[in-house]
Order: sequence, then C-alpha cells, then structure tokens
Amino acid sequence: MLDAVIKAAGVRKNYLSGDRTLAVLQGVNFSVAAGESVSLRGESGSGKSTLLNILAGLDRPDAGELFWDNEAAHRLSLGQLTARRGRFLGMVFQSYYLIPEIDALANVLMSARILGSVGAPERSRAALLLQRVGLGERGHHLPTHLSGGERQRIAVARALMNRPKLILADEPTGNLDERTGDEVISLLLEVCAEEKTALVLVTHNPAHAKKTARQLLLQNGCFV
Amino acid sequence: MPWPVYLALKQLFPSGRISFFTIIATAGIMLGVTIMLMVTSVMGGFGYQIGRMIVDTQGDIQITAVTLIDGRKAEQIEKVLAATPEIEAFAPFASGVVMLEYANKPVFPSIQGFSFERMKKVLPLQRFMVAGSLDDMDDDSVILSTILATNLGVDTGDKISVYSPLMMERIKKNEALLPREVRVAGIFKIGHQQLDSSTVLCSLRLMQDLYGLDRRVHGYNVRLKPGANMEEVALKLEQTLPLGTKALTWYETNAEFQAIVAFERNMIFFLMTFIILVAAFSITSSLLMAVVRKTREIGLLGAMGGRARDVALCFCTQGLLLGAAGTGLGLALGFYLLHYRDNIVHLIARLSVGQGTFQKFYQFSELPSHTVTRDVVFIVVFSVIASTLAGLIPAWRAARLKPVEALRSE
Repeated sequence: MLDAVIKAAGVRKNYLSGDRTLAVLQGVNFSVAAGESVSLRGESGSGKSTLLNILAGLDRPDAGELFWDNEAAHRLSLGQLTARRGRFLGMVFQSYYLIPEIDALANVLMSARILGSVGAPERSRAALLLQRVGLGERGHHLPTHLSGGERQRIAVARALMNRPKLILADEPTGNLDERTGDEVISLLLEVCAEEKTALVLVTHNPAHAKKTARQLLLQNGCFV
Repeated sequence: MPWPVYLALKQLFPSGRISFFTIIATAGIMLGVTIMLMVTSVMGGFGYQIGRMIVDTQGDIQITAVTLIDGRKAEQIEKVLAATPEIEAFAPFASGVVMLEYANKPVFPSIQGFSFERMKKVLPLQRFMVAGSLDDMDDDSVILSTILATNLGVDTGDKISVYSPLMMERIKKNEALLPREVRVAGIFKIGHQQLDSSTVLCSLRLMQDLYGLDRRVHGYNVRLKPGANMEEVALKLEQTLPLGTKALTWYETNAEFQAIVAFERNMIFFLMTFIILVAAFSITSSLLMAVVRKTREIGLLGAMGGRARDVALCFCTQGLLLGAAGTGLGLALGFYLLHYRDNIVHLIARLSVGQGTFQKFYQFSELPSHTVTRDVVFIVVFSVIASTLAGLIPAWRAARLKPVEALRSE
C-alpha cells in the first residue's frame, strides 16, 4: 500500500503481569491511507491504546514492522522517533493535556515551538486554527478558564498546528458529555478532512466510530 | 526563544504573574545571598578597619632592630630610607609601658614617643585629635586616648604623674627617681576601643628620658607613596638596611592577629555557604514536586516531539533563573542593608542591651564594612551554580520519564 501514511505489519506486544505474559497485540496488520479516517473500537484491555502508542512511536512493538510515510520507523531509535514525531503526527488525548500556565493560543503554538522558532506565519496559523475550532475569541484564556469541550477543541487545534499527515486521537470524548462529545468528533473529522490529514480515532462510542470512513474492531489483540 | 526556556519562564511566571513557588524559591536564595554578603562584608570590614588603624598608627612599614638603634645605626638607616624612592616619609619612635597617676588613680597604658614634626608626615595624628592640638606639644606634655582620659577624669591642661620602669631600675640601685609631672596637651580618638582605652603619645625626647634611652630609639615608622608595593619595598629594605635591622610590613608585624581575622572570616564564609545550599535544596524539592505533578505534561511534551534533554533543560533553566533572580535581589538587599547597617545596629542595641553597654563590649563604635570584589564574584557564582545544580536532579528525573509511561500515570 504505497499511499499509506502509516502502516503496521505483524505487530506483537506482550506485557508481563506477575508470572503471566499477556499478549496484548497478536500480529496486528494495520494501515491508513493519506487523508483517510479510521476508527478503532474494542473493549477495555483489547489493545487499542497500546496499538496507538506503537503507531505514535511512543512504545516499541515486541515484533513487527512500522512504517511512517514508507520510512521504516521500527528501525529508528526512540530518540529518532521523537525527533520525527512532531512533524509527522499529532495526538489528541482523552484528558486534553493542555499546559495550564499558558493560554489557549500559546498551547496551540507549543507544537510549532517544539519543532523550532515561532514566527508570524505560525502565529497566524494558530489563530486561524483557533478560529476554526470556534475559539477565536478565547485565545488568551487560560485552560483553567475553559470548559472540557473547549479544552478538547484547543487540543485538536494543537494537534493540527504542524500540518501533520496523521492525527491519533485516543478516546477524545471520554471526559465529555454526549452532546459536547458529538460536537468534538464532528469538528475533528471536519478539520481533518479540510487539512487532508488522516485520522485514527480510538473510541468506545459506535456512533462516533460510524462517522469515520473505515471502522475496525480490536478483540484480544487482533482485528475481527 | 528555545521552548525549554520559554516553558521554564511560563512555569515560573504564568501569564505574567509570579508563581508562589517562584516567590518562595527566590526569597530563599535572596536571603542566603544577603546574609553571605553582609557577613563577609562586615567581617572584611573588621579586618580592613584594623588594617587601616594599624597603618595610621604604625605606618606601612616598621623598621626595628634586635638592639636599640643608636646614633650611628640611625644615621645608616635614615640614609637607606631617604634613598628609597617609594618612601614618602619616615620618623623614629620609642615605645613602652608606663604608669599614669591622677588623683590617686593609677593606670598602666602603653606609651609611644615620636618626633611630632617628623611623625606628622608619617601618621595622620592630627586627624584623631578630639581636644587640644599637636602644636601644643612639648617635652613636658602628653596626649591621652579618649577612654583613658575619661577613666582618669582628666582634661586638657591637667597635670598627671608618669612613672616609668626606669624608676624600678633606680630603686634596685638604691637611687630614687621622682615621677615626671606632665601636662595633658590633647586627647585623641582612633575609634578602636582597645587603642582608645590605654594609649599615651609623647615627644621622643620625653620617652627617651622616661626609659633612659639617651638618644637611642626603638625603630622607625615608614609611610610609602601611594601605589607602592609594600611587600616589595620591605624586601628591598631588608637587603639594604644595616645588619640586625628588620623591615616588616604592618601585616607582618600583626601577622598572627591578621591570620586569626582571616581564619574567622573564612570559617564564617564557609558556614554561610550552607544557607545557600539549604535554599538550593528547597528548590530541588519544589522542582521534584513539580516533576511529579507535571508527569503527564512531560509525557505530552515527549508525544509532541520534545526531546528528553530539552525537558531536562526546562527544569535546569528554572533552577538557573531562580538562582539568578535570587542572587540579584540578594545582592541588592545586601548592599542596601550594608548601607544602613549602623542604623540597624543602633536600633538593635537600643532594643536589647542599650547603646552604652553595646559600645562598651564592642570593639568599634560603628559597624565596619569592606566588600571585596572577589567575595562578591564567589557568592554570585556559587549561588547561581548551586541553584542550577538544584534543578539538575528534577531535570534528570523528568528526562528519564518515558512519554508512554508518563501519559499513563494517574
């Protein structure tokens, strides 16, 4: 699959639990095409977050291969993965993880800041993204002064800041009420489509999963 | 601005405010630096003031001999001193101890005999006069130090009796030598309690009479020209002066005392460094708590592409900034308090034992201060390095956190 933005082949991951070895991922094959949206569902402990962490290069598989834009990511060290991660993908988490000491705009700009300097083009894009997620007027508000939904919107804008090819969203509505969750998912899908960014959405919510182009179900470490 | 520095600044000054942690950590370093600066300056001040007093009462260099210096030797010495270009002025002296008596009240001060006309060029005696004048001096008059005059209850113009050791010598030979009646021509105050308590100045001829020295003297006080190297001149004189004559700098003649002062100063300096270390440990503990509190944020930075060493740099920078701010404020506060030190000391004296009692047991009437650039540089470097190192342990812990584990932490 040449146009796959990310590809995992035969990925295995085991965890030790006391004397037992838990096979969390058992030879998972997975790929996402550029601009595609894919949802991952599964029960708690099915390996969704583990797969997401491996895809993000935050964790290493025990076996298998991982390609980021056709580059053999499994051959890179964690340090090399870190250096490429900021440009290649963006992440959205259940608990938002905004930096509380800086305002909404600065949180969005933080993605660009980590990659290098922040100039006028970056500021303009951050302001545009905030506008796009409906928080154009709240750029100078601290995260503590924002609601859960607003914080997650900022996290979405932050994930898109560096124009990544892929967004990995790990249960982004887990801390939100139903209506706000729906809004956030719709927004996430819309902006990813506008930016032509692929999306991998980990969710428990079948309705949210259905909104993506492709739905996958993970069970006992394998797709069914 | 690199993001670790940006984030460090934002964590210390969130949204332009100063965080409580920043205030407390900076205050800790500030107080440590203030105390270090004040203590070293005051200790340095004691040493410096004593040094100045010694120079003002002995000159830069003192020429002494194993035996009394007679006319021929004196001529040789004066020839050498006059030929030394670094020397501004020199004058002979004789010194010893006498008993003074006034209204049946005896005291045993030290006595120094000078040729006042010549000694004026060597020692700034006129500067210390609080009553009378050096011009009123003759061979039948003395000048008393202020506390000595007060203790005896004498004033200028009063007559006092002087008993010398020569009288004891004469008694051994069954001869009687009457005490010398002298007039109090003046009273001086140097500002040092010990010197002001028991010193008498008189003419060289009177001193020679009292000690039976004839025309002989004990030594010479030498004042150097400004900028002359005291040690080098003393060494040069040692090589050219007649045999059995020594040229000692004021520091050498008081070497033991100076060594004690220097030792005390260094010990206090050493002990004071622990104050900064304690403050640095408080920074470490606060930053460690921040690392624990911000574990998931640290994980997020990793997930966003932040390298472990940059995360570490963020915490190190916080230590450095706290150290720099605390040191700057500490120096400012220290110099401010040093400027008003006497007001503070007088206030403490008034509130505690009282001004009089305080001065009685205290060697100086005013708290001296002398700040050496080298000490300030040491304080600044030590304080900033200690604070930066204080951030290293939390930084190391933060750098060791794996983003995936940090994000998973509760």
